[in-house]
Amino acid sequence: MGKEPCVFPCKNRGSRKRLGEWKRKGAIMSVVQALLIAIFVAAVESRALGYATLTMRFSPLMSGLVVGLVLGNMPLAMVTTATIQLIYMGVVAPGGAMPSEPCISAAVAVSAAVIGNLEPEAAVAIAVPVGLLGSYLYQLRFFLNTFAIQKMDQYAVSAESGKLAFWIGGVPVIISFVLFVPLMFIALYLGAPVISDFMNAISNGPVLHVLSTIGGGLAALGIAITMHVIGNRKLLVFFFLAYFLQVVTSSAGLTMITWAVFGVIIAICYGLFTEKSPENE
Amino acid sequence: MSETENDIKGADVEKRPVSDPNDYHTYLDEDGRIHGDPSLMQGEENKPEPITNKDLFRTWLRWWWCNEVPHSFDRMVAPALTFGLMPVLKKLYKNPIMLGEAYQRHLVFFNTQAVWGGGIISGITVSLEEERAKALNAGEDAVDASVIQNTKIGLMGPLAGIGDSIDSGTVQYIFIALFLGLAQEGNPLGAILPFVCFATATFIYGYLFTKMGYSMGRRAALEIMKGGKIRSIINALGVLGLFMMGIMAAKYVTLTTPLQWSLSGKAFVLQDTLNAVLPGLIPLLAVLGLYLFFEKKGMKVTQAMLGFTAILAVLAAIGIL
Repeated sequence: MGKEPCVFPCKNRGSRKRLGEWKRKGAIMSVVQALLIAIFVAAVESRALGYATLTMRFSPLMSGLVVGLVLGNMPLAMVTTATIQLIYMGVVAPGGAMPSEPCISAAVAVSAAVIGNLEPEAAVAIAVPVGLLGSYLYQLRFFLNTFAIQKMDQYAVSAESGKLAFWIGGVPVIISFVLFVPLMFIALYLGAPVISDFMNAISNGPVLHVLSTIGGGLAALGIAITMHVIGNRKLLVFFFLAYFLQVVTSSAGLTMITWAVFGVIIAICYGLFTEKSPENE
Repeated sequence: MSETENDIKGADVEKRPVSDPNDYHTYLDEDGRIHGDPSLMQGEENKPEPITNKDLFRTWLRWWWCNEVPHSFDRMVAPALTFGLMPVLKKLYKNPIMLGEAYQRHLVFFNTQAVWGGGIISGITVSLEEERAKALNAGEDAVDASVIQNTKIGLMGPLAGIGDSIDSGTVQYIFIALFLGLAQEGNPLGAILPFVCFATATFIYGYLFTKMGYSMGRRAALEIMKGGKIRSIINALGVLGLFMMGIMAAKYVTLTTPLQWSLSGKAFVLQDTLNAVLPGLIPLLAVLGLYLFFEKKGMKVTQAMLGFTAILAVLAAIGIL
């Protein structure tokens, strides 16, 4: 079973081999570790770090980093997170509502993967359902915030600026921490070991093959979403251009940065060639 | 204030001095909204302070920080905009009743994207509020409060559309795609760099939008939405975004088929044949199939995810993938 020799340039094949070295026997999560990760998630989900939390919330990368830091296994955490990131490419939140919470899902899935030495694909299988549950929590936050509004209205009318600022900027943060810290702590401290034992029990032979196929395929989902969001069918030709360029040059092992340089040049050329005559400006 | 009006207000507010001009209750209507008397704004002590670049930066910084914090279903991010505008409003409306009125009008429903919508609209709002406060103070015809509200409401949707697709939909994923290779090698920079790059870039151009919104007033938004420049920026980013997605699809979607059967004693491995004809056919079909699904059915992400997972699971279980 398992994947046949990689036809495609899987950059992670190299690091796949080293995955074994990074796995450690008998890793566990302490109360303090679970609490630290829970506090990070609450800080992101409360959006108390400003608009900078956008990438922290929409992408699993920063939560994976924090899990790696707290649990003391950065390489394994990052490899697992990168695999989870692929299914969350293209997640946007039109109007603020998102179908998933990558930050929450990665906190739980990467923790489970690190303490249970799971394959990255197994972590993806954990991330998807946890992310869906997480999006309900975020909706609950919107609902709980409505309770602060009555006070905001009251202090707006009476022009009490200090109290108004506290109810706008302070209380919703407190609400989010009260909501997210205990729930995330329980999910991490009690949930992650159970989830990872369960995944370990079922991840063998056929199940692992199914999981790794899903993990390898779900990356297509995020990419398709991004293409849909960019939303210009006429430009789709550049997707095909890049796809086949990468397929035929796969053995050259060009990095994303190299490709991005080509991408920028092509985008600038596109701008030059389609520029309207200067009379418009 | 006419006598009869005072009586009605007085009945609502028990035992308050009916016509105390310094009590906001005097100016409340039955919905609890303040209708301040423009004459409150006159006089030297009510003269609005001038708005400086520092005020614009504070407005942007406060909005940037507060943006999603008080998000709720009924007001969306209106409180965050109010939070951003507070220092400016305090400088413009020295009279507490007029200040309360201003706070109140910004707490009404408002929702937009943080950088394009939030930056431009908060800049425009500051300029309109300044115009209004100055005119009221001078006793001239002022910008009506409803004009300020309608400008915000009119701009928030279109700018959110532009901002969501450019910032969170394209720019963010270009940065993530760029550094994903590092993350796959276990390097934490693969997480830190996309975060730092995106946060820095959006913070800088969001502030520039705020300044532009302020200096151009209502014209700024028209300029942004109708000008040819934004069209070509969106297109160029679209080209780059789609190009990176093409590379990502080829690099990271790893679907192959293990199917093989023997034809007259010779092993026939389907994947080898596929590789000879058109390498990467299966991942490409998967991406295009999902893309067509979203084009046809709209952004039904959960549905697509569940359906696609089920299809993959079945195909993998029966040995086709």
